[in-house]
Amino acid sequence: MKPTPTENRVPLRPGEFDNLSEALDYAARGVTGCNFYTGKGELYTVVSYAELREQAQTLARRLQGLGLPRGTRVALLADTSPDFIRFFFACQYAGLVPVPLPAFIHLSNRSVYVEQLRALLVICQASVAVAPLAFLPFLTEASEGLDLRFVGSPEDFGALSEGTNALSPLGSDEVAYLQYTSGSTRFPRGVMITQQAVLNNLSGIIKHGLAVRSFDRCVSWLPFYHDMGLVGFVLGPVASQLSTDYLSPRDFAMRPRQWLSLIAKNSATISFSPTFGYDLCTRRFRQEDATALDLRSWRVAGAGAEMIRHESLANFAKALNGTGFNANAFMACYGMAECSLAVSFAPVFQGLEIDRVDRDYLSERQVARVAPNGTGDGNRSGVSSFVNCGKPLPEYEIQIRNEEGRELGDRECGTIFLRGPSIMTSYCGDADATQEVLSPDGWLNTGDVGYRVKGHLFITGRIKDLIIINGRNIWPQDLEYLAEQQPEVRPGDASAFSVSGVDGEELAMMVVQCGEFTGIQGGNLIDRLQRMIREELGINCFIELARPHTLPRTSSGKLSRSRTRQDFLQRRGQLFSNESKHASSELARECGATG
Amino acid sequence: MKSYDDILIELCAILAPYANNNLILDEGTELVSDIGLDSLQVMQILLEVEDRFDISIPLNIIPDVRTIKDFVLQLEHLTRQS
Repeated sequence: MKPTPTENRVPLRPGEFDNLSEALDYAARGVTGCNFYTGKGELYTVVSYAELREQAQTLARRLQGLGLPRGTRVALLADTSPDFIRFFFACQYAGLVPVPLPAFIHLSNRSVYVEQLRALLVICQASVAVAPLAFLPFLTEASEGLDLRFVGSPEDFGALSEGTNALSPLGSDEVAYLQYTSGSTRFPRGVMITQQAVLNNLSGIIKHGLAVRSFDRCVSWLPFYHDMGLVGFVLGPVASQLSTDYLSPRDFAMRPRQWLSLIAKNSATISFSPTFGYDLCTRRFRQEDATALDLRSWRVAGAGAEMIRHESLANFAKALNGTGFNANAFMACYGMAECSLAVSFAPVFQGLEIDRVDRDYLSERQVARVAPNGTGDGNRSGVSSFVNCGKPLPEYEIQIRNEEGRELGDRECGTIFLRGPSIMTSYCGDADATQEVLSPDGWLNTGDVGYRVKGHLFITGRIKDLIIINGRNIWPQDLEYLAEQQPEVRPGDASAFSVSGVDGEELAMMVVQCGEFTGIQGGNLIDRLQRMIREELGINCFIELARPHTLPRTSSGKLSRSRTRQDFLQRRGQLFSNESKHASSELARECGATG
Repeated sequence: MKSYDDILIELCAILAPYANNNLILDEGTELVSDIGLDSLQVMQILLEVEDRFDISIPLNIIPDVRTIKDFVLQLEHLTRQS
């Protein structure tokens, strides 16, 4: 078996399509396509875009045979497999809306996973659900009692008869897909993205962000249910006709070096990862690997999806010394599923550019004043370093606003607002959540905090309450819910948030107020909660018990996570070298955040 | 073919470095809630187990594995097949 070639027969067309099916129609005229590898690096399936188009159209006719109304939601369990891509495009051709579901499973979490899938099926009102055989038992259990027309494996679809009408693909103003922004069981948010929006974003990414050339080739291990994995590395390559080599996220987590081997093997040029992926590689990399790997081809090593920790990337580049990897390939970027994917990219092949600012000045006045020369970095230096995430794509209008909503100038830090054609229509079935972030005149409140310097964007933190661990979005509501289920805890008595660990990585924290806040009973509660959180979410969480009435509330009586966080940092002040910056290693150990 | 007891001993040896010193590993030990494994550590352990027993662990068995005993039974089954 041979992977699809890098060099194509048709001229590169960088996006500029009306809809996704048109993008695949064009890609199918060439010889490029998708290639799937096992964890041991063996190629097991090759699907050229020409074959993908044919297979997707056959499947589309089978879906049509079910007689579903236009725009019907089709839930696809998004394990990294050729079938996911076939079904995704089958929906495009059949006028149906695909909804990727997470394929994240953890030890002993069967019931949690089933419950999660069920919630996601309900929210998107899926009529059809597809999962690979290995996942089908979970999906079947999750859909019990729900009104679904068809639940099955890709093989089951093979038995359906094809419809006879001409296919009528989704048009530019129709919804292209529905993307869940977190795996939250109880508070899922499904972003609705139109064809126009995603194609606009893809054109921006291909032309301005990555400046794609005909010799480019992608490698990706990012989950297909993640915006960067789906839009960036499934739809992006189709819309730019690039061959892509896929490794599953699970295989990457087990054998991270396979990622690098694949890049070397096929002389790939573009591959992205959240910071934790670079960290994982650095930890598992052996010096003898360096001589066997040639990474000179890698021209865009993108970093995004969580706060970019430049020290981690520098360590990665150092560990890879001898492989030909060039640190200039690092490209910081910023984006979110609510904007289809991308907002801004640092310039191509310029490496990371770090802005070193006066930490105290920033925290007191919200102004990122350049730190005096010669001041060291690190916890005691009074310097904070932020990565330049580049200029927003030309399609966006951007504003940085203070708390009163006034637009701020250069180096003034505030909430980032965006407006442009790639922004979502709404959160599926959740008018309140939509209204919270999207104004009637089209401005999206990103919930991220940052500042600009000559048009370049620097992200300093978040006001939205999201916790991001190893690139996964964790909603504080999910942690608080578990706490509130305990007999000792009443609703509204738990507040979860994140703080930075020693290496700048995020750690989950939760303050729980209750009567039993000390002694053996308190210890039991902490222990029980930590077990439950590990089982449900696969993360460690530090739990602090506090007296009743400790948690701060807003004037309207709502729990304020940001103020809980501030208070927590003050209480634990001696453990922090600087407010809100770095948790001490002692605290990190307490949280079980071991490397 | 490895016996249940052989697998148990080898699995505990793989898990020991991840567990707190005070924790005694036995068949009833729960992997996530007692040992405190997070999702990335689980992946590292699966790798070590796959390499040690020369098997491939199917994804779909993972959510049903709660205790060391559950894990050993699955491994016994998988090594018999290979």
